[in-house]
Amino acid sequence: MNSLVKKQRKFIVFAMLIPTILLIGFVLVPAVDLFRMSFTDWDGWSPTRNFIGIKNYLNMFKNKDLWLSLRNNAVYFFAHLIMIPVELAFAIMLNTKFRGYKFYRFMVFMPFIINGVAISYAFSYFFSPINGAFDEILTVLGLEGWIRNWLSDTKIVNFVLAFVSLWRYSGYHVTLFTAALQSVPQDMQEAARMDGANSWQMFRYIQVPSIALMVDFVLFDNIRGALQAFDVPFVMTQGGPGYASSTFTLFTINTAFKFSNFGLAATMAVALVFIIIIVHVIQNKLIHGLILKEEK
Amino acid sequence: MKKKLVALLLSAAMVLTLGGCGGTEGAAADSGSTVEGTGTEAVGEGTETADAENTDLSGDLVFAIYDNVLMTYIDENDMVGKFQEKYPNANIEVEKIKDDSEYWNSMKMRTSANQLPDVMINKTFTLSRFKDYLVDLSDLNSTANNEYAAGYAVDGKILGLPMVVNCNYVFYWKDQFEEAGITEIPDTWEEFKTAAKTLQDYYGKQNPDYMAIAMGAKDEWPDYPFMEFMPAAQGGNGQNWNDMAKTDTPFAQGTDINTAYHKIYDLFSSGVFGKDPLGLGNDQATALFAQKQAGMMVSGAWSLTAISEGAESTDNLGTFYLPVRDSESDPFNCVVQGDGFIGVTTHSKNPELAKAFVDWFMSEDWYGGYIQYCADDSTMTNSPKEKTPILAEADAAQPDVVNVMYDGGGDDFQAIQNEVTFDYKKLGAEMFTDGFDLDKRLEELDQSWTEARKTLNIN
Repeated sequence: MNSLVKKQRKFIVFAMLIPTILLIGFVLVPAVDLFRMSFTDWDGWSPTRNFIGIKNYLNMFKNKDLWLSLRNNAVYFFAHLIMIPVELAFAIMLNTKFRGYKFYRFMVFMPFIINGVAISYAFSYFFSPINGAFDEILTVLGLEGWIRNWLSDTKIVNFVLAFVSLWRYSGYHVTLFTAALQSVPQDMQEAARMDGANSWQMFRYIQVPSIALMVDFVLFDNIRGALQAFDVPFVMTQGGPGYASSTFTLFTINTAFKFSNFGLAATMAVALVFIIIIVHVIQNKLIHGLILKEEK
Repeated sequence: MKKKLVALLLSAAMVLTLGGCGGTEGAAADSGSTVEGTGTEAVGEGTETADAENTDLSGDLVFAIYDNVLMTYIDENDMVGKFQEKYPNANIEVEKIKDDSEYWNSMKMRTSANQLPDVMINKTFTLSRFKDYLVDLSDLNSTANNEYAAGYAVDGKILGLPMVVNCNYVFYWKDQFEEAGITEIPDTWEEFKTAAKTLQDYYGKQNPDYMAIAMGAKDEWPDYPFMEFMPAAQGGNGQNWNDMAKTDTPFAQGTDINTAYHKIYDLFSSGVFGKDPLGLGNDQATALFAQKQAGMMVSGAWSLTAISEGAESTDNLGTFYLPVRDSESDPFNCVVQGDGFIGVTTHSKNPELAKAFVDWFMSEDWYGGYIQYCADDSTMTNSPKEKTPILAEADAAQPDVVNVMYDGGGDDFQAIQNEVTFDYKKLGAEMFTDGFDLDKRLEELDQSWTEARKTLNIN
């Protein structure tokens, strides 16, 4: 018995120790180093780096192109936020067993498992001004007047890119919601039905509260994903024309690699962490406090 | 069951341990700079031809490249095997990195980690960035035979031997010029603009997708023949970037870059690049030009391969040099640059072998075949190359061309460029957007430039 207890303890110690070491080595230490780097003028290759205090932070606040990029992130954020109820509705629909529901579930999830760069390339050709499929579709439908310079008109380019991002990531959210909905106890749902609850009441008072944790996760994932948007604008527009479709992460990467300013890029990365936390806290307050009117 | 499991785990652990020992021995052998396998096999043939002193060199080398053409040639022609014929105790690992952007990112990371490859490739604008990590190659035989190496010396040291020399051409379809009534090859900037306008007006009426000049401006970099090279061609000054670093207001009216960028903006905003150049990438633009959906395309000699592959026939394909000059009495400047600077890094554990490799690489034994395979021109006096007939047409059309040797910019320029975040290729793409105000942008750049020089203490 003692031996078994010892083994259990050993197992628990190792099971805790290994992830802790990995976390310290691959998350905590780089995070501390990132924070330290944000106070230096390191260019990315010099053996030395000079401490320059909060100069990078001041420069970051003065950089109008960076804040323009952050504004572009907001387009992704709101586009995905608006889509979350739709994704939830899709999940509820796919949670019922109709003919071919497995096929539809797979089709919804498929864009997420395709390589993001490949998707972005495909959509580059889809929205191409010459021989582009989208313009051809509009022409066939007699909607030539709607044709625009989808990837170069600074007024619409971010919406086009956000659409591609939605195409790619919405299925992931639908799948998460579907998985969560499947874990809602059947007896609870049946009891509600017997009590006369209609579909809306089932959704509002049974299903949504039961998957609240997943909704929170998706909301957080939306903030994180929107603020870290990179692959779609990088491949489809290079952040251009100018900085019209640049995002915060794209700008950070260019600062580090194109302009050899790793110190300033580290500052932007630190700022991004805080922006994600702040937006998450505000969103949580708004959704739980005002919309769902939950009492803490 | 439990015993079986323990026995299985122990066996697996033993296998791993033994494997690990084997690996360690292998590694030790490698670190002892003796190479087995392919190296040994080549000994018989190699010793007969190799010099006595060369056979002593041994060890492992990593040769990092990004050029697809070079990689294909290396693979198809067994570069490693051929080098081992001469240096049987040497082994080379060729590391291909996706593209040049990824290459510089990787090299930057590896510099800070002391992990640079033994042999690396540079461009004109990266030579000065890596100058502290590159070995002087002045004493190599190949350096003496390289026509352009001395021109790119940094602080008197030859840090890389340019593998190729290239300039940009205007590729054009002769039949389209003829049909549109353009009888003369443009010889001045105005004539070039007029030719582009004539083509656009003539073919654009029938085909709204037509482009007089094809450019994949969505990728930004394809505007480099204009945005990067035209300021140097404008004043015939290959040191233009370096000279800009010496002044507070290099973008002011009357400067080469101001004049060149106004000319470019004038062209870019005239509609001769089709309905939406910012919606197209370089691959798309090249393919459309090859399919004769465009009349001209300005690019390096390397584009000829892609154009030829995409075109039904190249019978009507011609070239001329981009005329930047205002009148025929001005010199016809054409920017020429060395490219693919092969060099040895200070991180190499076998620098002598790495230098021997560079010397061999640039010798007739290897380079002679390579330079005939690629589209660019030779830099080596002992491996001359005739231009392909299509590219040679440019020389015939403009026999009085003045070559301007381009410098990508030294330390000061690059420090200011980074501080100001001056991205000339992005600026070029922005010129295609509505409401772009060039004068305002140049004024802002001047202000930032002055501040940057002050901050960086550059006089």
